[in-house]
Amino acid sequence: MSRLRYMFRETGESIRRNPSLSVASVITAAVSLLIFGLTLIIQHGFDNLLSQWEGGVEMIVYVNSGAGEEQRLVIEDALGQQQGVTIESWSYCDVACSLSDADRLFAGDPVTRSQLTEVNIPTQYKVVPLDATQVDILRGLRDRYLELPNVYSVQLAEEQLDLISKLQGFVSTYTTGLWIALMVAASLLIWNTIRTAMFARRREIEVMKLVGATDWFIRLPFMLEGLLQGIAGGAVASVAMWFINGRWTAGVEAFPANSGMTALVVVDGYEWRVGLIVVLFGALIGTIGSGTAASKFLDV
Amino acid sequence: MIRLENVTKRYSSEVVALDDVSFEVPKGEFVFLVGPSGSGKSTLLRLINRQERPEEGSVWVAGRDIVDMPANHIPQLRRNIGNVFQDYKLLLNKTVFENIAFALEVIGKPQHVISQQVPAVIDLVGLSGKEDRFPHQLSGGEQQRVSIARAFVNRPLILVADEPTGNLDPSTGEGIMRLLDRINGTGTTVVMATHDRRIVDAMRRRVVQLDRGVIVRDQERGVYQ
Repeated sequence: MSRLRYMFRETGESIRRNPSLSVASVITAAVSLLIFGLTLIIQHGFDNLLSQWEGGVEMIVYVNSGAGEEQRLVIEDALGQQQGVTIESWSYCDVACSLSDADRLFAGDPVTRSQLTEVNIPTQYKVVPLDATQVDILRGLRDRYLELPNVYSVQLAEEQLDLISKLQGFVSTYTTGLWIALMVAASLLIWNTIRTAMFARRREIEVMKLVGATDWFIRLPFMLEGLLQGIAGGAVASVAMWFINGRWTAGVEAFPANSGMTALVVVDGYEWRVGLIVVLFGALIGTIGSGTAASKFLDV
Repeated sequence: MIRLENVTKRYSSEVVALDDVSFEVPKGEFVFLVGPSGSGKSTLLRLINRQERPEEGSVWVAGRDIVDMPANHIPQLRRNIGNVFQDYKLLLNKTVFENIAFALEVIGKPQHVISQQVPAVIDLVGLSGKEDRFPHQLSGGEQQRVSIARAFVNRPLILVADEPTGNLDPSTGEGIMRLLDRINGTGTTVVMATHDRRIVDAMRRRVVQLDRGVIVRDQERGVYQ
């Protein structure tokens, strides 16, 4: 108990002695963690946007709502004729499955989503081709299926996927690079803060060692200081991320329903998990930065 | 209590601080280490509390060879050795009480032990009533008393003092020596490096004289010379 009290007291004193460096560490950690969190959020938004094309699906045949089983059999016959020729596999996404897709696709457009019900939502056939690079064959199939009765529309992945995939690759590459660089900077700044704190307290450390304090006992208040800076940075980043995500989601609602951006939002609770991850990551970089400094500069 | 066997300590190929030094200090003895600057007195004290390691030989403290002692055992060794320095090494932002309590706090002593032992040692060193003063509010002699109190509060087996009267006037120095003598009277072994001829001559205790890293004299009830 007295050790704990000592540790918290010394940590508090150390932060009070060096407030500007501590604030700089927290801000740097917060900025890097915010970009880290936003990277995860953007990735998840893209995943939502592309969720309907998961598993190699390159074509979706939308079926009129209210089409019965017999009417669907006509479409399934047409798909079956191509299986093993141009189509590798296909699957039927019923009303519940289509509503679930709509939840993700119109996450940023609740008005449009509310208009889709069990009664009027088109169901889907998701088609995986044998060779996705044969775009002409897929286009031919689309034209053929469009003529089938009860087919509402046919969408090809190439129309949506190429642009989004390129955008996702671009964004993820640069944001990942940015957050890694900033995370290293934050960790180094925390490292430097702890080094400065240890240098400022070198006489105390010398006395502590001479009276028989263990290295861990000396290190822990400094590590706690780094840990608190990391957690504080993570908490600031989480709040900022929650705010930015909220503003983006509200902004997307104003986009037209056919803008293709309505799925590029995160409203399924993932943002809270990312917030927690960001705080834990902050704790981790704080501990690593301060732990390495506290070990390296113990012999001040 | 302390035994050095054929100890050699070099700081470089040219600088030999101690050269094949052997000597023994029994429990409860008071020993002066004398000699000119650079003779190896401070190095010898630093070997005893494992701030330094010799290149050759062995150093035994309280029955253990500490030369190859694992790093995680050193704190335990140091809890048995009190250190007093010429420059006191007090923490300027802490009061007398806090400076002394610090030595117990950092080795994990509970609060009730601290609140019992610290006032007792403050009384022993004659600083009762000055518990709440900061080092800059104390004289040099008083600061050295705080330093001694901090070294002794954990009742160590050994107390090593490196020029403890070096910054003090003669009469204050005498007061410090009386205090160290009292501590020695409780059974604590005291090893003290000094240049202070008057003190050595007045105390008439064992004198070990070093010169260029070699023991040139080891005399019971000796004088400075």
